[in-house]
Amino acid sequence: MMTQLGLQGITAATDLIDVLETVEMPIVVVRRDFTIGGFNSAAACALNLLPSHMGRTCRDIPMLAGVPRLEQECNEVMAGGMESRVDLRDGARWFVIRISPHRKGNRQVAGTVLTFTNITAFRASTDQAIYEREFTKAILNTVADPLVVLSADQRIQSGNRAFYTMFALTRDQTQGLPLYEMGNGAFGPLRAQLDEMLAGNHAFQLVEVDHVFAGDQERTLIVNAHPLSLPGHSERRILVTFQDITARKQAEAAKDLRSEEELRRSEAFLAKVQQLSSTGGFYWWPAAGKTIWTEQVYRVFDLDPAAPLTTELRQSRIHPDDLPAHREAIQRAIGEARDFEYEVRLLMPDKSVKYIHSLAQPTRDAEGNLLYVGAVQDVTQHRRTEEALGKLRSELAHVARFSTLGTLTASIAHEVNQPLSGILTNASTCLRMLDADPPNVEGARETARRTIRDAHRASEVITRLRALFMKKSDAVESFDLNEATREVIALSRSELQRNRVLLRLELADDLPPVTGDRVQLQQVILNLLLNASDAMRSVDDRPRQAVITTARDEGDGVRLTVQDTGQGLGRQPIEKIFEPFFTTKDDGMGIGLAVSRSIIESHRGRIWAKPNDGPGATFSFSIPRSANGAHLKGP
Amino acid sequence: MVLRSLVSVVDDDESVRESLPDLIREFGFTAQSFSSAEEFLDSDYVGVTRCLILDVAMPGMSGPDLQRELTRRRHAIPIIFITAHRDDRVRSRVLDEGAVNFLFKPFSDSALLDALKTAFAEVEP
Repeated sequence: MMTQLGLQGITAATDLIDVLETVEMPIVVVRRDFTIGGFNSAAACALNLLPSHMGRTCRDIPMLAGVPRLEQECNEVMAGGMESRVDLRDGARWFVIRISPHRKGNRQVAGTVLTFTNITAFRASTDQAIYEREFTKAILNTVADPLVVLSADQRIQSGNRAFYTMFALTRDQTQGLPLYEMGNGAFGPLRAQLDEMLAGNHAFQLVEVDHVFAGDQERTLIVNAHPLSLPGHSERRILVTFQDITARKQAEAAKDLRSEEELRRSEAFLAKVQQLSSTGGFYWWPAAGKTIWTEQVYRVFDLDPAAPLTTELRQSRIHPDDLPAHREAIQRAIGEARDFEYEVRLLMPDKSVKYIHSLAQPTRDAEGNLLYVGAVQDVTQHRRTEEALGKLRSELAHVARFSTLGTLTASIAHEVNQPLSGILTNASTCLRMLDADPPNVEGARETARRTIRDAHRASEVITRLRALFMKKSDAVESFDLNEATREVIALSRSELQRNRVLLRLELADDLPPVTGDRVQLQQVILNLLLNASDAMRSVDDRPRQAVITTARDEGDGVRLTVQDTGQGLGRQPIEKIFEPFFTTKDDGMGIGLAVSRSIIESHRGRIWAKPNDGPGATFSFSIPRSANGAHLKGP
Repeated sequence: MVLRSLVSVVDDDESVRESLPDLIREFGFTAQSFSSAEEFLDSDYVGVTRCLILDVAMPGMSGPDLQRELTRRRHAIPIIFITAHRDDRVRSRVLDEGAVNFLFKPFSDSALLDALKTAFAEVEP
């Protein structure tokens, strides 16, 4: 084998040749003229060299021809006597070629010796290591959260960019610093846990750390740690990560603050609403006899919220007259889980009375116990208002009557003065006849008779007036509507005359008697009649005519109608004219029709108006003959 | 003399028409009554009436209307208005238009007599 190589000058040294043959490293001897001078087996194998390549120039060897600068390097090594290296890449294989001068015994450089070191495996692992390192570095520096690697004794080895930025320190300033000494000891508490973790006792538990950084910025960090084991190394390291949750904490705090504020506001709002509406709320567990009241209920009951809420205390406020009914309502609510609603009076310590409206709904609490959720409202004001309103309404009816009286003053004066005038005239005539010589006794008797008649007439007028204006009206009686109508006309005749109103009566002969408040109904008729008269005051181009008609109405009712030829209803909605204080008159109060409607409705009847086909309007009311069930307590 | 002293009463109220003429006759005058202004105007007594006792408010033609109508017809009859309505505006208006007096019902017999005397003094100076 050695002969094949034909290494000059080495042939004698058989041992050395053997040595070279056993070397796995390819070796090629190159002559000064860049021709192959010899090679070992490893070289033959690695570079595909054949014995025939001996003496051929390296430029003809494909593997060597591809090595850049090989010939130049060889020349320089021969000239300078210094070793050199070049890289050879053959596909996936990498070699480092060491070019050494080949000295002969006389120290003359006869050429070069190329030794090939296969670095493929090394190259790959280095590449991988570099790649991994760079990749990891890139990741770490890209990660927004600060990271730091500690040695086993918790000293800082290296951190990512975010770490140095956060602490406003450089790599050099932190290198070798124990983490637990940083930040004025803020990270001190980590030390023991990190030791435990490294000892393998347990995994690291997240730690929240508040730390004041440069610029007085307090930040909250969540610190996490993982042990790092390096394969092939017994030494362990620690990766510590920091998550800055300051912004999240602040947002949460703000949200907490906000929702707390909202809650407070809605509570204040509810309290205000309860107070404004005089309504309080309660929970009541009948089985346990337990009650919870809101502040407003205490306020309504005028009890101290601090005092224990016993049944006795609650019932001490209930009006004695209402206590039995109250207890009964409570018992019913306990017995059957149903909605309940009742009113009760409270007797306050100052002897004032409050009206309380209470309603509740049954429900179940988390344990399934019957629970009532309810509201308590102080309706005293409401009740008082209702009472006052009722009183006001009846006073209004009085006012309406007396304003009618005012309208009728002239008419009434006329009705009274007329018979008085007759009395005076007749009495004077009577005296004169008796004083005559001879006395005219027959004439005197006649005039005395007329005097008495006129006195009766005057008395009748007064009686009618008293009935219509002085008498308290609440008497329900059966009466003839035609007769009542005639009485009203008698009183207002003069008023109609003054307004030049021609009145025509079309009263039904077969009208059945009606039951109701005669005086009130007369007031309505009078009101309709005077309205008709007023409506025609400005009419000059046609007769001022009013027609009063009575008739049986459909069913069992009677109807009265007043028709005029006046100015009509105008453009306003017809329903409006029955509303209080609606008036088209300069001197009207606008309560006449409103009171009339109130009276008719209290007789279970109805009142309406409609425009005539020609000029004017027609007002009608219809009432059942018998007003059974009607509310005749007053309009 | 009888005709010259005729006092006509125009009033829609029957009791007035009954009682007033009797009193007027007791005073020594002749009296005739009418229930409306129209009835009076349509009668034969317009020209012979020496004094008119006239109600203010009546259906149809009112007292003041009749006063104006008589003025228009140039019948200068002294008029004594009587009324149960206390209306001073009507009173001053009819007095301005020449009425002799304006009596509010009820009035005394002497008040009426004074008014009648004034009326006859006007036509019989």
